[in-house]
Amino acid sequence: MRLIFALLLVATPSVADEVRIGHLSLKQDPRYVQDWGYARLITPPPVVTADAARMAVTDLQFTADAVGLTVTLDAQAATAGDLVATAQAMVAGGDSYLVLDLPGAQVKQVADALQGQPVLMVNATAPDDSLRTACYRDMVHSGPSDRQLMDAMGQYLRAMNWEKVLLLTGDQPEDAQLADAFALSAERLRLTVQDRRAFTLAADPRNREGNNIRLLTGDVDYDVVFVADTRGEFGRYIPYATQLPRPIIGSVGLTAGSWHWAYERDGATQVSSRFDKLTGRKMQPADWDVWIGVKSLVTGAIKVPQADPVKVRAFLTSGDMKLDGSKGVTLNYRAWDGQMRQPILLGTADAVIAVAPVAGFSHQTNDLDSLGTDEAEFHCN
Amino acid sequence: MKRMKRLMLSAGLVLGMSQGLLAKDTGLIFVSLERGNQVVVLNPDLTVNKKIDTSRRPRDLHFNKDHTLLYVACGDDDSIDVIDVATLEVVDSIPTGPSPEIFAFSADETQIYVSNEEDSVMEMIDIASKTVVQRVPTGAEPEGVINSADGKLIFVTSEVADMVHVIDREKAAVIKNIVVGTRPRRFVVTPDGAELWVSDELSSEVHVIDIASLTIKDDLTFVPPGFRPEDVTPVGMTITKDGSKILISLGRANHVAIIDAKSRKVLQYVLVGSRAWDVDLTSDEKTGYVANGLSDDITQIDMTTMTAVQSVAVGRTPHSIKVDD
Repeated sequence: MRLIFALLLVATPSVADEVRIGHLSLKQDPRYVQDWGYARLITPPPVVTADAARMAVTDLQFTADAVGLTVTLDAQAATAGDLVATAQAMVAGGDSYLVLDLPGAQVKQVADALQGQPVLMVNATAPDDSLRTACYRDMVHSGPSDRQLMDAMGQYLRAMNWEKVLLLTGDQPEDAQLADAFALSAERLRLTVQDRRAFTLAADPRNREGNNIRLLTGDVDYDVVFVADTRGEFGRYIPYATQLPRPIIGSVGLTAGSWHWAYERDGATQVSSRFDKLTGRKMQPADWDVWIGVKSLVTGAIKVPQADPVKVRAFLTSGDMKLDGSKGVTLNYRAWDGQMRQPILLGTADAVIAVAPVAGFSHQTNDLDSLGTDEAEFHCN
Repeated sequence: MKRMKRLMLSAGLVLGMSQGLLAKDTGLIFVSLERGNQVVVLNPDLTVNKKIDTSRRPRDLHFNKDHTLLYVACGDDDSIDVIDVATLEVVDSIPTGPSPEIFAFSADETQIYVSNEEDSVMEMIDIASKTVVQRVPTGAEPEGVINSADGKLIFVTSEVADMVHVIDREKAAVIKNIVVGTRPRRFVVTPDGAELWVSDELSSEVHVIDIASLTIKDDLTFVPPGFRPEDVTPVGMTITKDGSKILISLGRANHVAIIDAKSRKVLQYVLVGSRAWDVDLTSDEKTGYVANGLSDDITQIDMTTMTAVQSVAVGRTPHSIKVDD
């Protein structure tokens, strides 16, 4: 399963230059396998972000041609067992850039295995803040971190004056990680987490406080319920079922993401409809993360002639990069943690309700830095 | 005159011709409402004269040379509607490719050059026969379209490729690509035909291209006091007839910059509405207008004092504005 899209030069190149970009994903990525929920209620089309990588290369073909740059995309999917070997083979085969569409644990595996190799990795879709604080010198992060997403949510709650939050979490490690990130954002934005309660899926009558939604959401006062359920196991049963009539946010209801197909400002519609035309499905946040990751690399290679991965990373994090992600502002990567600065969209199933930074939240250097771990509080682990 | 007649016939305006010629210099202000599916017509005192229903998502507006007809590109119905300026009715519609946004007329006004942002193509459409004569592939999301003064070159921006395509009209092919800033949007050509100004929305720049050599001559930034460069998203531009002053809307910075075109110096920043986009001037150049996309209004600017006079609500998401005088 090896797809290569070679884009040949139309014009005569002024300087012959070539970059090979690898796209590595996980076969049966649990984040995209959503048909194992009860009775397969939700079965969206599978997310194959290699499509987004291909779109990014096509989008920039004219610009690459103008400077005589050939971009080759090498998209591969591996099983968890073959992942590291596949990544190593891709680099050995000449991919000097790797865009990773992998869960956090696998990103760590690949990053550790490739340390010191001549490659720049883009972690596109793993939101784990622990990957940011790991400070890999050969990695940047195009998709938002949990903290960026949760700060966006927190800003909105603060702007709406919804201060008291009931936090419900599932039993996955990612659920706890998301809830922790929200708790940190709540602290930053002076929101109060009234209680943090664990939801259990089993119907054991001795654990009614954990599986009965009315009991789970009773005996406490709150303005809003935050649900941390990254695999979509129970979250969908919470809206309209709480003891108090309150809005639901987090993994269901109002969610925070890097992209939303219904976003219609800033030229977003054109990106979404190009993607739709290419793939026959709606563009998801993971697709945008990969698209902008590849776009970053190609832009870097265009702006830094005869690029090597080290110079390209320096350019991406320099503040000189002015990347267009169709979210209304220029994007670049933070020097301290390699995280892309970006607006976050807060949306429901079919509409964008707000865009963070929410109006009124400012920052002394760049308002986008009001989302995510700021330089002063950042430490490498 | 013969050409004019053919135009009118094609627009089904046999009876409207004399009316059309009388309609010159009405002083009316036309504003396209991207999400209102209307072109609002304001009297010179800014009261509403009429709301004209158009095809969906009306955007760029241009008069023919005689100002008898106003053309409006309607992005969601893939057409350019034609409004009779005398009767203020839609009298015709020219089919285009998907999602027409910005367009220009050929120098002889027989063709329309239109960017199809969803097809990444610039189409050349023969107005009389309403047929597509040529389709020139561009980078993704083509937007601004304008002619060189001699009509031999057509310039098109690609918002995604960050470049200006230079198209040879005769060959109907791109002969040069000029890389500019991030998300290039619109153009003006100076009246002497020497310079092409390009607004780069996301990199907060305006590039000045020398048309004779097709090279970049200047890279300008305009940041009103108290703003950061990233807050400035220049889009709409217009130039005075003597080529001395350029008005540039600064988008999210909610200002219009009035620039001395020769020295490139800012004469004044004028505070207007939210996300200021298209700008236009009256023919005596005493008054400027700007369409504010996010505050659903337009702002009137006194060009003598270079101050905002008033803002008037017009409807959902004003895109373009043109004054008939």
